[in-house]
Order: sequence, then structure tokens, then C-alpha cells
Amino acid sequence: MLKLIIIHETRQLARTGALWSILALLVIAIIFAAWSGGRSIDRQVAGAQAAETFEDGLRNHMRADTEKYAAKVLAAGGEYQFASVRHAPGAGPPQGTNAGAVGAETSKFVTLPPTGLAALSVGQSDIQLNYLPVSLATTLDMTKNLELENPINLAAGSFDIAFVVIFLLPIFILAMSYDLLSSEQERGTLAMILAHPISIRKLMASKIISRAAVMLAVVLGFGVIALLTVGTALDAADTWLRFGLWIVATLLYLAFWFALAVLVNVYGKNSASNGTVLAGIWLILVVIVPQLVSMLATTVYPAPSRMELTIAAREAQTEAEKNFMSKLDEYYYDHLEFVPEGDEKAMDFLTLAQANNNSIEKAVRPLYDKFQEQLNKQEALVQRFQYVSPAIMMQLALNEISGTSANRYEHFLDQVYDFHDEWKEYFSTKFLQRYPLKPADYDDFPEFEYSEEPFAAVLARLTPSLLGMLILFLGVVLVPFMALRKYQVAAR
Amino acid sequence: MITSIARKEFTEIVRDGRFKWTAAIMVLLLLTAMLAGYQKYNTAVRIQHAAQAGSNQQWLNQGDKNPHSAAHYGNYAFKPAGPLSYFDNGISNYAGTAVFMEAHKQNFAIGRPATDQSAIARFGDLSGASILQLLLPLLIIFLGFTAFSGERESGTLRLVMSMGVTNRQLLWGKALGVGTAVLIVVVPCILIGAVALAMADSIDHAEGMGTRITVLSLAYLMYAGIFLFLTLAVSALTRHARTTLMVLIGFWAFTGFLMPKAASEISKYTNPTPAFGKWMADMRAHQLRGFDGTPPFVKFMGYTKQLLKEYGVSKPADLPMYFVAVRLQKLEEYDYPVFDQHYGMIRDAYAEQLRVQDRLGVLAPTLPLRSISRAISGTDSIQHVKFMSDAETFRRNMVLKMNDYLSKASVHLNATFSSSNYMRADEEVFAIVPPFVFEPPKLSAIITEHRSNFMLLALWLAAAIGLAVFAANRISLESS
Repeated sequence: MLKLIIIHETRQLARTGALWSILALLVIAIIFAAWSGGRSIDRQVAGAQAAETFEDGLRNHMRADTEKYAAKVLAAGGEYQFASVRHAPGAGPPQGTNAGAVGAETSKFVTLPPTGLAALSVGQSDIQLNYLPVSLATTLDMTKNLELENPINLAAGSFDIAFVVIFLLPIFILAMSYDLLSSEQERGTLAMILAHPISIRKLMASKIISRAAVMLAVVLGFGVIALLTVGTALDAADTWLRFGLWIVATLLYLAFWFALAVLVNVYGKNSASNGTVLAGIWLILVVIVPQLVSMLATTVYPAPSRMELTIAAREAQTEAEKNFMSKLDEYYYDHLEFVPEGDEKAMDFLTLAQANNNSIEKAVRPLYDKFQEQLNKQEALVQRFQYVSPAIMMQLALNEISGTSANRYEHFLDQVYDFHDEWKEYFSTKFLQRYPLKPADYDDFPEFEYSEEPFAAVLARLTPSLLGMLILFLGVVLVPFMALRKYQVAAR
Repeated sequence: MITSIARKEFTEIVRDGRFKWTAAIMVLLLLTAMLAGYQKYNTAVRIQHAAQAGSNQQWLNQGDKNPHSAAHYGNYAFKPAGPLSYFDNGISNYAGTAVFMEAHKQNFAIGRPATDQSAIARFGDLSGASILQLLLPLLIIFLGFTAFSGERESGTLRLVMSMGVTNRQLLWGKALGVGTAVLIVVVPCILIGAVALAMADSIDHAEGMGTRITVLSLAYLMYAGIFLFLTLAVSALTRHARTTLMVLIGFWAFTGFLMPKAASEISKYTNPTPAFGKWMADMRAHQLRGFDGTPPFVKFMGYTKQLLKEYGVSKPADLPMYFVAVRLQKLEEYDYPVFDQHYGMIRDAYAEQLRVQDRLGVLAPTLPLRSISRAISGTDSIQHVKFMSDAETFRRNMVLKMNDYLSKASVHLNATFSSSNYMRADEEVFAIVPPFVFEPPKLSAIITEHRSNFMLLALWLAAAIGLAVFAANRISLESS
């Protein structure tokens, strides 16, 4: 019997123009979202590559100089020396022999690679810079650059698959199912159907199943197409694991909205009032509650002002300069290339520059950590309050699954800080020893390799959101199905 | 007749539970948003004032040093909050707030507040503007969608028509009734906001506060009018109230949620901008090879020859100005066109992207309104671009003044140039660079810039009224 009604409902649905236009819109939205999400990630990857190539190019240039110099030394005899200051081309050892110069004047761009699903949920990746310049400069300098994007577009947010799922799908679901019972009632067909040997629960279930089946077919079908077209690393198991989670999250989220439609249908009055209630709930859950939670987070744990941080960093810089450079002219620290050849004193400037950077780093570090601390507190608060809205749970879940969450970025930053220390250690030690860098040494420079966090960690962060959605769904779906037992057509 | 229809409509709405609920929620949210926004604004103003004053002071107190080193130490420009940012925060969370102004380098603004917020912040700010842009239309739809189709369903439309009411009277009466109901929710909130603003003392009294509030109110009223007449039009055109509702909610979601994002993606496609890494690599490579293909150092050699000839001397040490300072300033200036080109490319692309998005306002009235609201609140890109260009002007002037001073005051060191032989300048010298002050763009210029957006809103309103009149005229005894 159930099967019969499902088939009947599906046929009926297929004959309504509204369904087809809704599905057409949905398909267009998914294609558009996949396209724009893919573009966004491609752009970031291209940016990372360009930056890395440029800086590596600078270093290769220095290396080429040292090769020429080495050949010259070999031909003419003599000692392979350390460049104290920059000389005119051809005269004396090139700057590439000086580890202090190589480590400070060129950077190594380290990159957080996108996961295979990054294009599905752009998340915070358009704000965070996913490639950072590591050099002898301070952490503050390393992290101050921002990804370039029109603030208007950042404020509008990405039109990615996550947006389609979180914002648009519920609207489509509501449009399909706001009048499940009420329309039959208004037409007078409900009493007739129920005169047949079918319970109202089964009727309701079959109506929902037929709609959900259509919706799921479209979402999963185009989800796979989206992944195949804009996803990357399709041969990696990680990508497919993540996609599996993406499907689970989407199913739970959609289930909640279908359940909500049932709930409103059971307790609702006429179609129009069901529509208003559902639209109102959508607005509250998807727009207002997330905004309120965000407002709460930034009000309870406001980030310290970046402006104040800047001023404090300057204060530290001035102090450091006064301590270390009072007797020397920092002017040459800025312009080593202008120091006349053979000026012994100039060598101290680079040493001082490093000491200077270190003391700024030390002074600013606590302030800087406070930002991360407040941000972590905000995230924790959002984690706790996510259960008030399925949209928040879903957004957090999708960012986690797509690897565009703040947590993964922090995992990346930790590795970058370690690499920064390694870089500083390598180059400042060689510099302080006045060790002349040879061409072969360029192969031994520290290299960065991002190590992905264990999948279990992602799963652990994801579980609360998924569980929350499951519980919410069960809560919403059980109530109406219990109540349906007592549903009386005539009383309406 | 119109008034009695309006009175009936109004009474019916006000007695309805829907109205009480939606109105209560809206008032509560508006007040919360204004309060929170106002508190944030106060803090922001205080911090910005302190930071700018502090940075200007740091410039003076940086300790005695070579003037060019002082230019390296530089100064910071801190962006003030827009005068009405507590109503519409616009792009403020996503645009940088501080520009480091130093020798040799033009910099982008750093310190985007959104970087220090959780991912949930991307759901948007709850602000007076967002409530009026998104909730107000929904309120209007909820209150008005049954105006015709509801009456048609219950059979009263036929009754009214048979009493000799003209279609036009019916339309304007209903418009008046629904409109009044909407206004009694919104106006008190706006009044409270305005009073709070007047009582606040920490606010930077920006130019033309009265004009700003008037223009904003006008724009939002037009926006509300568009939705009011569209609601009535759709209600008159559809047979069932539930169809009316679905069509209107579909349009609302389209203009309020879908189009802002879609327009942004479309504009990124029509006017693509490079990611930071690509842009940075291109610009630095351009700097290295020189603006016109001649590397700066080569160019400077030519300039040196010319200089020596001009002064009739044989070596730089004999020049009547400090040669090192001349070189510094010249190299600085060789970079100007490179900066202008690459930063300008980004600035122009962003402006063009906004123009594309505004033009898409033909499809969605929320887009032109959003632009107007941000512009008048002083939280849009015009404000930001002006800030960036003020900072760059300041930077060039600062560096020039310092190099110039050095070039005149250190002539005697020309011959004895070494790392232990240099001049030191003190606070008095640094004071020849005036403190950084941001001049916000003129209000009249802002309004002129957004002329086409006002026009779009007006067009939308006219079209909505036209559609409503057309739809109301179609109603007849037979069709009802």
C-alpha cells in the first residue's frame, strides 16, 4: 500500500509545474555554485604558486651568483669568501654567500593545500591567506598579509555548494511540502483518501518519502557531478571519505527540514499560514539565530583591537631600537647595499637586525597570542551554541569536511611557526658563524611539507555537529508522528 | 472610501496574531542590533582616536635618528568608523583598518576584523540595515499577501466589488492600510535610534548628519514601497493566498539572499582580480625590471650623469646636495608608476565589480539599496578607497620631506660617506611632516556617485506601482 501511494505521489508531483521549476532552479544553483567555488579555490592555488615561484626565483638568482663566484674562485684560486655587504656585480663575493641576506631578503612561501572538497565549501579560505612568507622577519610580518579580495564580495560571501545546501535547499523543501496535508484538506480530498484503508501516518510518510527521494536524487547526483568537476585529488581516499561525510551531513540537514514541514503541517491551519510559519522559521534558524550567536561570541569574547596591537608592537620596536641601536646607525640597517665596501662595522647591523626582530617578536608575542586565544574562545562559544540552529551546525560541519575551517588553519599555523623557527635557526646560525653559503648548500635549505591532521581529529570535531543534527531531526520528526495518531480530519 | 478600506485592512492586520508576533520580533531585533552596534561603534571610535593620536606621537618620539630612517619607521593610518556604521557596518569587517606608511613601499590596509571572528560571522551582521533590508520586506509580505487573494478565497472580494468600490480605491485603500501597519512598527524604532544618536556625545559629528538620515530614510521607504506594491500586485494576480505567498517568498529570497552572492560571483567573473600571491609577484617583478623596462639602478646611473653635467662637477661627492638622499628619493619615485599601476588595477577592478553588481539591481532591488545604505553610512568602498589614497599621499609626502631634509642638511657629509658618519635628526625635524588626518569624501560626492542606484530604486518603485495598478484593474466581479 505504502509503495502504491509513493508511486502515486511521485507521479502527481511529476505532473506539477512547480516541482519542475523548483528542481530546475536547484540544478542551476548547484552548477553555478560548483563553478564559482571551483574558481575561488583555483585562484587561491594560482596565487600560492605565483608567490612561491617568485620567491624561489629570487633565491635561484642568488644561487646562480654563487655558482658564478665559485667558478671564478676555482679558476683564479683563492678563498671562497663570505659577502659582508652587497657589491657591484662581479666584484667580490655575491650576496648569495651571506645566509643572513638570503634568509631575510627572500622568503619561503609555505602553503596550506586545499582538500579535494575545498571548492564545495569555501568557508574562511577567502579571508585567511593560505600561503605565508617565511623569512627571518617576525611572526607578525609573516601573518600580516591578507588574501586580496574585494571587501564587498567578502561581505556578500561565497556562492558555493554549502550556501546552496544551507540556504536554498530548505526553501525548496518548504516550497514543496508546506501544504502536504492542508492542500488535500482544502480541496476536500483528505477525507476521501482516509476513507481508504490507509493510516494518515502512512499517507504522510509516503508524501515525504516521494518528495525526499526526488530531492535527494538531484542533490546527490549533482553533488557527485560537482565533486567530479571541481573537486581535486579524486584518487585520494581522503577525498572520498570526506565526500561520504558530506553526504551524511546533507542527509541529516535535509531530513530536519522535511521533518519540520511535517510538524507544521500536522499542527498548522491552512496552507497560507503554514507557509508563513515555515518561512518565518527558516528566517529565524538560518539567518537570525546565526547572526545572534555571532554577535554573542564577539560581544562576550571581543578580539583585542588590531589597532592597539599595532601601537604596542611599535612601542616594542622603538624600545628595541633604543636598546640595541642607540650607538649605531639603523640607517644602514635599512640600506646595507649603500655601505661602502670594507666597512667592518656594517656587519654588526645584520646581527643587530636579527636581535631587533627577536626582541620585537618577544614583546609582541603575548599580545598576538591573545588574538588566537579570544578567537578560540569565540569558536568554543559557537561550538556550544551551535545546537540552537541546524544552519550553524551544518556550516561548521561543511567547513570541517571541506578543510576550510579555522581549526585546520590553526593546525597549519602551528606547523608554520615550527618551520619559521627552523628557518631562523638555519640561516641565523650560518650567518653568525660567517659561513659562506656555497651553491650546494642551497639544496639543504629547510623545506616545508604540510602534514594533514589525522582524520580522527576531523571526525572528532565533526561529531557534535552531526549528532546535534540527528537529535534535532529525531525530536522534530517524532512529535508530529505521535500526534498524527489523534489527527482528525473533521475537526479541522 | 479609501480611508475606510484602509481602516478595515489596518484593523484586521493589527488584530492578527501574525502581526503581533512578527512586529514584536522585529522591534526586539532592531533595538538589539542598534544597541549592540552603537556600543561597538563607541569602542571603535575611542580606539581609533587613541591609536591615530598614539601613532602620530610615536612618529615624533621615535628617538633621534637619520631622517631617512625615520621615514622607514614611518607612521600608521587608522581608518575611522563610518559615521553611521552602527546602523550599517557595510564592508568594515572585511576591509583592512590600518595602513603602514613607510619608505619605499606602498602597503595594503591590514587588520581585517573578520580575521578575528569565527566562521559564523559569515552569516552576516545583525544590524539595523540588515533587518530593514531583509526582515522588513518579509513583514510586508506577511501582512499584505492576503489583501486580494485572501479575500478572493473567502468570497469577500466579490462582495466588496459589488458595492461599487473602484479598483483603484481598493488598491490605494489596501496600500494605505498595510503601509500604516508597517510604519507603526518601524517608525518608533528609527525614532529611538535617532534619539540615541542625538544624545550620544562620543560620536564624530560627521558632515550632514541630518541629510544622511533623511536620504537613508527615503531610500528605505522606497524599498518598503517596492515590496508593498509588489505584494499587492501579486496578491491581485494570483488565485490562492498560498500561491501569492510562495511567489513573494521566492522573490524575497531571490533578491535578499541569492542575488547579493550571485552578483558578487558574476562580477568576479566579468572583472577578475588576481589573488594576493599573483599580484605581489607581478608587482615586485615589475619593480625589479623597472616601470618601462629599465631597471631603477640603471636609470639612476643615467640620472647621475645628467646631474653631474647640470652642476658642472665630475663626481657625486662634489654635488651641492647629499647624494645618498638624492638617490633614495629618486629610487622611491621610480616606483611610483609601478605602484600606481598595480594598486590602481586592483582599485579599479573593485570599483568595476561594484558597478556590475549595482547594475544587476535591475533584477533585485536589494542591491542598489545596499549600496546606497553603505555609502550614506560611510562604510562602503568609496570611503575605503579615499582612505587608502589619503594614506598613500601622506606616505609620499612624508618620505619626500625626510629625504629632502637629509639632502639639504647633510651636504657636508658627501665626501666622507661611511657607516659611522651620518646625521641625526630629532623631533623638531620629524615635526615638519604634519600628522595624518583622514578627510572623508564629501557627502554630495557620495550621493552623486550613487545617482544610478537611486534611479534604479525609483524605477523599481514605479514598476511595482504600475504592476499593482495593472493587477488591480484586472479584478472584476466575474473574475473574483
